[in-house]
Amino acid sequence: MNKNAMLKPFSRRDFLAALGGLAVGQAFTVSTLAESLLTKTDGDASPLFASAYQLANGDYGIGIVDDLGQMLARISLPGRGHGVAVSPDRTRLVAFARRPGTFAVVIRPFENRSPEVVASETGRHFFGHGCFSADSRLLYAVENDFAASRGVIGIYDLSGHEITRIGEFDAQGIGPHEALLSSDGRTLVVANGGIETHPDKGREKLNLDTMEPSVVFLDVATGGLRTSHALDPSLHQLSLRHMALDAKGRAWVGGQFEGPEDETPPLVAVFSQDDAPKLLATPNRILSNLKNYIGSVTANVTGDVIATSAPRGGQVLFWNVSDGRFLGSQAIVDGCGVAPIDLDSFLVSDGNGALSFVKDPTLPAEILARPPGISWDNHMAALS
Amino acid sequence: MRLLILATLAICAALPAYADDFKSPLDRFISAYARPETAEFSQTANVLPGAVEAICQDTGKETKAAFASSFADTVGGLSRIHFLRFGPLLENDRLSRLSFLPDPRGITQRQIRKIYAARDESVLSVASLRSKSVALQGLTALQLIAFDRLGAVVLGKAGDNREFTCGYALAIAQNVAEISKSLAEDWADPKGFSSVLLSAGPENASYKSSKEALETVFNGLVTGVIITKDQDLLPALGSSEAKARPRRFPYSRSENAVPYLSGEIAGIRDAFFSLGLKSLTPEEHVWLLDTLNFEFGNAQTYLKKLEPPLRQTFGEGGSYGSVKALTITLDSIRELLSQEFAGALGLSGGFNALDGD
Repeated sequence: MNKNAMLKPFSRRDFLAALGGLAVGQAFTVSTLAESLLTKTDGDASPLFASAYQLANGDYGIGIVDDLGQMLARISLPGRGHGVAVSPDRTRLVAFARRPGTFAVVIRPFENRSPEVVASETGRHFFGHGCFSADSRLLYAVENDFAASRGVIGIYDLSGHEITRIGEFDAQGIGPHEALLSSDGRTLVVANGGIETHPDKGREKLNLDTMEPSVVFLDVATGGLRTSHALDPSLHQLSLRHMALDAKGRAWVGGQFEGPEDETPPLVAVFSQDDAPKLLATPNRILSNLKNYIGSVTANVTGDVIATSAPRGGQVLFWNVSDGRFLGSQAIVDGCGVAPIDLDSFLVSDGNGALSFVKDPTLPAEILARPPGISWDNHMAALS
Repeated sequence: MRLLILATLAICAALPAYADDFKSPLDRFISAYARPETAEFSQTANVLPGAVEAICQDTGKETKAAFASSFADTVGGLSRIHFLRFGPLLENDRLSRLSFLPDPRGITQRQIRKIYAARDESVLSVASLRSKSVALQGLTALQLIAFDRLGAVVLGKAGDNREFTCGYALAIAQNVAEISKSLAEDWADPKGFSSVLLSAGPENASYKSSKEALETVFNGLVTGVIITKDQDLLPALGSSEAKARPRRFPYSRSENAVPYLSGEIAGIRDAFFSLGLKSLTPEEHVWLLDTLNFEFGNAQTYLKKLEPPLRQTFGEGGSYGSVKALTITLDSIRELLSQEFAGALGLSGGFNALDGD
């Protein structure tokens, strides 16, 4: 591990300059606007965000945007992306293919490397998410061992010249979707969606009658299971997929319900290692319009508000961390990616290209930008 | 066996028979909307450089009026094509260069201030302007330097900045004219993007079927409706009538907000009906076309109730209520297009909503 990189404070200008150094071929482009923004003297500390996108011509990539929603850089992807993992030292990011994709693209701008494509192992594919170890050396990727119909966490070492897969943990469930590292760096929290899929059958769901979603807490040193939580059996078709951790290490999880469309179960729950899961109440007038689907979950910088997006319902819901209270919702058509911005606000990306700033759920969202021809994919990550 | 046949029949009956060849609608859209509208925009924009030169050579009532008129015509032309956010309009960042919207935090204004503070002469020629930030290159920047906050033309006004502003305005006008010319040429080119839209199939890198190609156009129109409501109207409405912000209407500084809004809504309607989808619409859903036409008409009725210039008049009479009602009509149009009509034709939309993960 490069200690200098670890200690280096995040600099947007350094990051972009380093990215710009990789500008070879068509894999990478810097926008015209970026050139002028790059030189602005007051913007060095302003944050950056990354999200997968689809262009109007069908091409896929990762966009780097600033806090004004301006696209500063693009990195092309070989297929549709999904989640983006950012290393704790902010020197690396990894874009995962959408399930059942078989690629992940590792971007290490400070190490003067072009984006590297990692292919999943034979017999495995990626599920779309992953996270880094506390020292930024290891990457944990949620994967499908489809022959055995079990989820695994693939472990990749990024410290050497070559990226190597050094092993895997059992995810203790089927269809692990999102994995996060606890703030103390010792626990891997995994949301097992419970849905069995096989790449030969595309995105078809094979076990809706018997699915058993769970949220598990794994010892990151050994992969050993610390705790596994499931919801009441009556909610076994609520696939637990996306989550965010609060300051207490609790996982706020958003689900998608695979049961009858005329049922509207709660879609958000809080899980902790030691306590039973707690389902959160959403007002019926909101819940009934969400089409049983939460797309992403994010905490604000201070950790006191959680945002859960519901793109099928065109809403983003906000929750008070201290008591689980529903704070309100914001209408954003096809809004899904959510990242923390400032101390108490959220940046929301949508399938129509907009990046919206939400400070107060009771006030209209402010559309900061809408890069033409872009459809933002489900998730957005803050790089700083 | 009888049971199996019945089961098969039941499945067939349950699946609606969607049209699968959308080449003709795409052809109509290209020839009846995209080509003539971009050509018209190009012709209109081509007048703008001369209008800038005239006002800068001889600043007077007539040249001011001619410039304001040419600017309004160009903004009007833009309003009818800005929602074609695919193909030629995306090439070389054309749309962002023509019109940098939205810009709620005033990026353009800030960048212009820096240009003036540094007397950056690279904005004085179209060739060097093209290498500057996209925000500095188009109609949104021209509006800021050519009109004051009350809508008066200030281009050509005597003062230290007169020559600099005239030079910069001319470079923008020439840039807009050139971009719109390239845009029209690209749409007109039978081997260009139109052939991509019309040659869907396994060999086509962008569209594997004409349905996919149609979805690009159709979803562009739906996005246009979303932009009109969420981006062009809601920021001006603010959180309440007392907190309305009419300056946030697009092109309101030059008193072109109502024509711009009217142009984009009419453009979306005309582009949609240019597809001529009636014959491909299942009979039980044909009523949607009349309802859509009716709602588009309602939208224009609300706009006609507004008295330009909105920066001065918004809030008077029932104007706030009219715009509020317009947002509801636009919601209805979006629902009709993206839910009802798309459903009737088996079109998919909603990048995250439809096939999330």
